[in-house]
Amino acid sequence: MKLKLADKILTANERIAEGNRRSFDEKGIFVINLISSPGAGKTTLLETTIKTLGGDVRLGVIEGDIMGTDDAERIDRLGVPVVQINTGGACHLDAGMISDVLGELPLDDIRLLFIENVGNLVCPAEFKLGEDVKVAILSLTEGHDKPLKYPIIFQESRALLISKIDLKPVLDVDVEKIKRDARSLNPSIEIFEISSKTGEGMGQWVQWIKTLIS
Amino acid sequence: MHELSIAQSLLEVALENCSSKGFSRIGSIKVVIGRASGVMSDALIFGFNALKDGTVASEAALEVEEVPVSGHCNDCGADFTTEESYVLSCPHCGGLSYTIGTGRELMITEMEVF
Repeated sequence: MKLKLADKILTANERIAEGNRRSFDEKGIFVINLISSPGAGKTTLLETTIKTLGGDVRLGVIEGDIMGTDDAERIDRLGVPVVQINTGGACHLDAGMISDVLGELPLDDIRLLFIENVGNLVCPAEFKLGEDVKVAILSLTEGHDKPLKYPIIFQESRALLISKIDLKPVLDVDVEKIKRDARSLNPSIEIFEISSKTGEGMGQWVQWIKTLIS
Repeated sequence: MHELSIAQSLLEVALENCSSKGFSRIGSIKVVIGRASGVMSDALIFGFNALKDGTVASEAALEVEEVPVSGHCNDCGADFTTEESYVLSCPHCGGLSYTIGTGRELMITEMEVF
């Protein structure tokens, strides 16, 4: 016989994501899911963000990579509690991977949790982790055509960081086009031009985070 | 590449529906995939066929219905449909204020069970 259904295919992931969200809410933790392609500078940006935040906010970090622990070691050196997830091939984090490692973080001592997703501009956009906001990072060297080639992540993100902005003088990249296209896809997206190297834009970005969690 | 995870999830939802409603085998599954969902139908079917072996869905065929992106323009009031996988402005008046209707679906709509 035929069964008529109206089930979301990602029901299982969304259910676990909702569970994660409840755990975060109970502990009063704000969660930012950082998404970019490989090499956009997520970890460097995270390091600079942590240093700029100083001791003002109690932080935690979950690092997602296909393999390796380099990123977690970099965060650990800053004295911030960190857990490394190795997906072993999967191109994105899913909600189950997050719930599996939550017990390894001192949740009672964390106000702001960064989840650094696997470097990939496509797949992570589809999987909710239980975060409050997604933030996309697009480095200037990736080119100005990316918002229209990978629209979903720009539609899903609350903010876009255009990183490595210090390279603007030596690249033929149209920053205004990136901003225009991102805003067409998502009129309410916040956009920050930022450089981990020179510190440009870091103040505004960190201020935005502080406003979100205040 | 994330289609494999989505196929796994799809299979789990189908198996759960089959067993919880007291059936023992799945003959076919219909899914609706929005064109702006970021999921490629071919990759989803490939993933599903790789995962279904050894389950009660091992003989099941996966039928995918693709849904185009549609929306409503808040400026000129037009309802529109596009072949693109995203909308930047109303195709009729170029207005930037619009509401997206269809296009992001990832749903199981029907299963044949025995």
